[in-house]
Amino acid sequence: MKLKKVLFPCAVAALMLAGCTGQKQGGDNLKGTYNVTLWVSEVAGVADQFRAQIRAFEAENEGIKIVETIEGVSESSSATQVLTDIDAAADIYCFAQDQTARLIEGGALAKLGKAAAEQVKAENDAGSILAVTGGNDLYAYPLTSDNGYFMYYDKSVITEDVDITNFEAILAKCETSGHTFTMEAAGSAWYIASWFFGTGCTSTWTTDNEGKINGVVDTFNDPVKGLAAAKGLYKLVKSTAHKDNSSVASFEDATPAAVVVSGMWDYTTASAILGENLGVAELPYFHVGEEAYHLGSFSGNKLLGVKPQSDAKRAAVMSKLALYLTGEKCQQERFDEFAWGPSNKVVQNSEAVKANPALAALAKQNQYGTPQGQIHGSWWDIAKVIATDVKATDGSDEQLQAALDAYAAKLADIFEVHPWGLVGNMAESNWSTNIEMTLNANGTWEITYEFLANAEFKVRCGGDWDSFATLKLTLPEGMEQIEGGNIKVNTAGTYKVVVDPVALTLVITAQ
Amino acid sequence: MKQYTDLEYLKLSGPEKFANRFSRFFFGIPRALLKFLKAIGRFFANIGRKIANVFVNIYRTFANGDWKTRVSYFVMGFGNLSRGQILRGLLFLIFQIIFIVYMAVWGWKWLSQMGSLGVMGPEEIYDEVYDTYTTIYHDNSFKILLYSVLTLFFIVGFIVTWYFNIEQNRIAEQIIGSSQRKALRISCKKEIKLLKNEYKTVLKAKEPDPNELAQYKEKENDIKARYQAEIEAVPVKKLKSGKDDMRSLVDDQFHKTLLALPLLGILIFTVMPIIFMILVAFTNYDGAHNGYSNNLFHWVGWDNFNTMLNWQTGNKAYSAAFGEILSWTLMWSVFATFTCYFLGMFVAILINKKGIKLKKLWRTILILTIAIPQFISLLYVSKLFADKGIVLTYLQKWFHVPETFSFYGPNASAWTARITVIVINIWIGIPYLMLMATGILMNIPEDLYESAKIDGANVFQQYVKITLPYIMFITGPYLLTSFIGNMNNFNVIFLLTGGAPTNASASAASGSVGYTDLLITWLFKITTGANSEYYMASVIGILIFVVTAFIAMIVYNVMPSTKNEEDFQ
Amino acid sequence: MSEELNQVVVEQVPVQKPKKEKRHMGIKAKRIISNTFVYILLVIMSIIWLAPFVCIVLQSFRCESTWMTGYIIPKQWGFDNYVRLFTKTKFPRWFLNTTIISIATAALQLIIILCMSYTLSRLRFKGRKALMNAMLVLGLFPGILGMIILYRILADLHLTQQNAIPGLILVYTASSGMGYYVSKGFFDTLPKSLDEAARVDGANRAQVLFKVILPLSKPIIIYTLLTSFMGPWGDFVFARYVSFGHSDGMNVAVGLQNMLGSAASINANYTTFCAGGVIVAIPITILFMCLQKYYVEGVTGGAVKG
Repeated sequence: MKLKKVLFPCAVAALMLAGCTGQKQGGDNLKGTYNVTLWVSEVAGVADQFRAQIRAFEAENEGIKIVETIEGVSESSSATQVLTDIDAAADIYCFAQDQTARLIEGGALAKLGKAAAEQVKAENDAGSILAVTGGNDLYAYPLTSDNGYFMYYDKSVITEDVDITNFEAILAKCETSGHTFTMEAAGSAWYIASWFFGTGCTSTWTTDNEGKINGVVDTFNDPVKGLAAAKGLYKLVKSTAHKDNSSVASFEDATPAAVVVSGMWDYTTASAILGENLGVAELPYFHVGEEAYHLGSFSGNKLLGVKPQSDAKRAAVMSKLALYLTGEKCQQERFDEFAWGPSNKVVQNSEAVKANPALAALAKQNQYGTPQGQIHGSWWDIAKVIATDVKATDGSDEQLQAALDAYAAKLADIFEVHPWGLVGNMAESNWSTNIEMTLNANGTWEITYEFLANAEFKVRCGGDWDSFATLKLTLPEGMEQIEGGNIKVNTAGTYKVVVDPVALTLVITAQ
Repeated sequence: MKQYTDLEYLKLSGPEKFANRFSRFFFGIPRALLKFLKAIGRFFANIGRKIANVFVNIYRTFANGDWKTRVSYFVMGFGNLSRGQILRGLLFLIFQIIFIVYMAVWGWKWLSQMGSLGVMGPEEIYDEVYDTYTTIYHDNSFKILLYSVLTLFFIVGFIVTWYFNIEQNRIAEQIIGSSQRKALRISCKKEIKLLKNEYKTVLKAKEPDPNELAQYKEKENDIKARYQAEIEAVPVKKLKSGKDDMRSLVDDQFHKTLLALPLLGILIFTVMPIIFMILVAFTNYDGAHNGYSNNLFHWVGWDNFNTMLNWQTGNKAYSAAFGEILSWTLMWSVFATFTCYFLGMFVAILINKKGIKLKKLWRTILILTIAIPQFISLLYVSKLFADKGIVLTYLQKWFHVPETFSFYGPNASAWTARITVIVINIWIGIPYLMLMATGILMNIPEDLYESAKIDGANVFQQYVKITLPYIMFITGPYLLTSFIGNMNNFNVIFLLTGGAPTNASASAASGSVGYTDLLITWLFKITTGANSEYYMASVIGILIFVVTAFIAMIVYNVMPSTKNEEDFQ
Repeated sequence: MSEELNQVVVEQVPVQKPKKEKRHMGIKAKRIISNTFVYILLVIMSIIWLAPFVCIVLQSFRCESTWMTGYIIPKQWGFDNYVRLFTKTKFPRWFLNTTIISIATAALQLIIILCMSYTLSRLRFKGRKALMNAMLVLGLFPGILGMIILYRILADLHLTQQNAIPGLILVYTASSGMGYYVSKGFFDTLPKSLDEAARVDGANRAQVLFKVILPLSKPIIIYTLLTSFMGPWGDFVFARYVSFGHSDGMNVAVGLQNMLGSAASINANYTTFCAGGVIVAIPITILFMCLQKYYVEGVTGGAVKG
């Protein structure tokens, strides 16, 4: 666990600076030359643009000189590389948001200062703020807000007479015309979620203040909504037209695709292949019984992170630079050159952005999108199996529900809860088995137990002896903590033992 | 069960041979196990005896040695220096000084932390002036563990050198004769003592009989003279000088010169990582406890093995995944080894057939797969057979293979994917075997064919009865290495499928387990995966060792050994 | 093993008994038929073996698009991908890095492997058997986990990222002593009388090695050089681990494999990857083909002598 400290400036410094708080950060005291390593997308041209933007940053902040080293590292693999060796990692790096939780847990992201956090919150859209939040704090700077998916289609196949808001109609057209409906299912949980979010299922993960994911509320196995989603997914994976893929190159296949569900990164390739015939649209509605559900999606971001620094002044400069690079002007430039969808609200509303067909489709789809917050790394493996399982069923309600319940059971395994218990020289325990406590509604664990005199015991969570050491003890008269840490009972009697695993307290009261 | 000699064996009929081999193998297993256990017992008994010997030696040398030897117990190399072996003495002394300095300055610090693996994690500080968070790093569990292991290596090295230093003294004393002389002096004293005992009454009498006294004196002088002569006769050899030492390093001690560098490299870059890996299996080192930038890691005892292997209390996801992957790994090794083996041999025979022209061309074409780095050829082949790859596209176009069919895409069936990798592996493996079989075919003794010809065997019979058994006989050890190599065949699986398709039932275990994953790729995926459970990877690494060692042991013990290295020289 | 020797083997295989031949067709006719069959098989195999390489070459000349396509023959031919490889990526740097690593590794590994195999084959000393057994056991541990530790050691020696080249050379050579088997098998076959004769003439052991054995060891020296030279070209796991985040320290395998890292990257770089593959494969293949004879000797020798 990270120790936390607040460094108060000494009295004199506080007096000197008292008048100019707020202003001082942009001012003279950040002057200096800084060697900065940056990892940005390996797409051709991105590094050069970052370089130019750093020059602009220097021009805007007189006295700050940045000597930068820029390397192309893909957003999907940068987290792994940062965590390999934090000392050797870049000071500022781009990463995909599904890595945020892992990076926070790994201690590889510097927390944003108060002013920086306020600025990020003020300037960016809600989804992107969620993406950089861990517990109550912000850990990164939103760079784009375009990591979602929508539908590319071939206008020569899906002609105007086909209702492109109707999934079944499109699928039928694909089947009859000998084209494929290309959408990833068994390959990626990211796309499977589309069906479930579409019917209103949720999967919400909670994090503690360390950024560690500590729980999940998941309704994918809901008997109504979840089942409806599974039925939709079943239609797709059982269709002869389905192709499990997300590459727009499928438009060129022997059996060419009529529809490909993919994201912004494929826009250039798709227009190169289809040219005039390229259509871009939000995802359609699918129908189960009477109900129509609009396919949902994940909306995600690319983020810029700053590695923890040991020098406060340097940390302030890094933060300032990251803020600048993710600010309005830089996001606008990135859109102009690479069509990266902005997370900045001002840029999002600019005419140019609104005129981009792919971004427009993404924006429409995002109305049905679920911001991709922090997600446990294991979820991706557990959830992508849904498609395989659904495909293996006969489509009946029971079997589909069973597939979803199997998913839910695996999910529950991640957070297997270990009950707290007493362990000591009492006969039932004998220092090896816990005498289990019961969980209260408020999250505390409790037991009322009759202790004999001279009994010695500890309290632990599951088999974890270390858990005892983290507790703050409040002992009644008649008990004392002896050398070695054990609690010794001096006066026999019935005592109530209460453990609060969040506040980390142990309170024992005589009954 | 009948034991055959090689010649008798070769005369048996096919089924008989097979039955013999089969029964020999399986009947051999218990015997081999027993033999192995006995060998282990002997091994430890031997070690125990040797260690005991060492202590006895240390004691005796101290007790019997001269003062130079005794000082050497505390100042290494003192004996050598005082006896004129300056080079050796200096080396010992310098080594000791380096050791002491290292231990005082660094070694002790690391070792003292080895039990806890660090106490203070990183510290996050809020700086009000700059409104930023900074982080100060403290202990690093990884470094503590690494350098403690290195320090332990160094200590072991020091103790061995120290013992060696003592042995040097003992040997030196023998060479220059001081120990023999000392022994003679002692036995001289003993004999005189006996003599005194004999003449006790005479010597203790108040008025000793002068005759008897003179007799005693004479005898005593005799003994003294005899021993004096013997002591003087003890040869005084010269100790080896520094020059001699240097010379012997290129002569009778040449192996030391040659092995020093390679062994040092192996010690630090192979042995040390293995020991470290074994230790990590007993910690909770993972992404959430990386030992430096978030939480320190600590010792957890056997917990991880329990998680992996215990069907009752462990994490069932792991034990199930492990069982599944292990069985596939073994299946893969068997198929990958034997398909390549037989087909490679078949191809070699085809190419070497009489009357076939352009032998060199055919061979060269096959060898291309060896020449071109696997990351190019396999990565490219993996894209060829992928869901959108050229092979599937043409299969669909020409043979109307259904759109849903996939070799190892996410929707492929487990067995399609597995068979595909085995088949593609044949493509990689045949050329090696072809080369090898070509070489072996030339070594088949002619007289075997002669006798077969007399018996009227046709070409096919000759192949089955002579060529095949002979090759099997000779390549037995190769088959074993190849089997173990295939168990750890990281490249083929990782580059071709990356483990795909996903194994639905194992998704709760870390590392995105797929149906074509081998233990080795699973291990790799765990370390680079979302939770980076290094401790689990280490457990798997250890288990891979156990499995391979077990197989190797059985096969080695059961297989008739064909190689005696002295035979060839 | 050269061509002539193979012929000898084949001729040893005795022909069938005349009795049988009379009943069927002439021996010649039979041989022609069976040989035709063999030729057909060989041609089919050659196609299978060559097809991927032909494909990769064809794709590297495709200009109309850069992503994976479902057809083989390019619609538009040209050198665009090669131009892009040399101007837009750091491929020349990676190629140079890998060449340096390979040459250094080959030289150092040769020394280490020769030391190791010569000693274990021709010198007898206390602990020799134990040493060989220990090597055998060590070889059973999967080496891939050691990566994390080796990275840490190299990082503390400042031999990672931009300094990855010396770091990789160090790691490749340091434990190469484990791979002494083939070379030892070769030394085992040299007659012991050679050493003894030289010893009688007053040569010391080092002189025996340098004056008697080494001149006879050309095949194994070339084999060792060849295999250790080729090794670094294919390493993408450890090389990536050591050089992460610094494209100047990468080797070709890491650099090229990164091109196929993400979907967007495959779309932009697939044909460039093919071009890179071709450039890497050509020199190595030529080298390998020239020294093929020695490689074959090494492989067959290794198999027979274990």
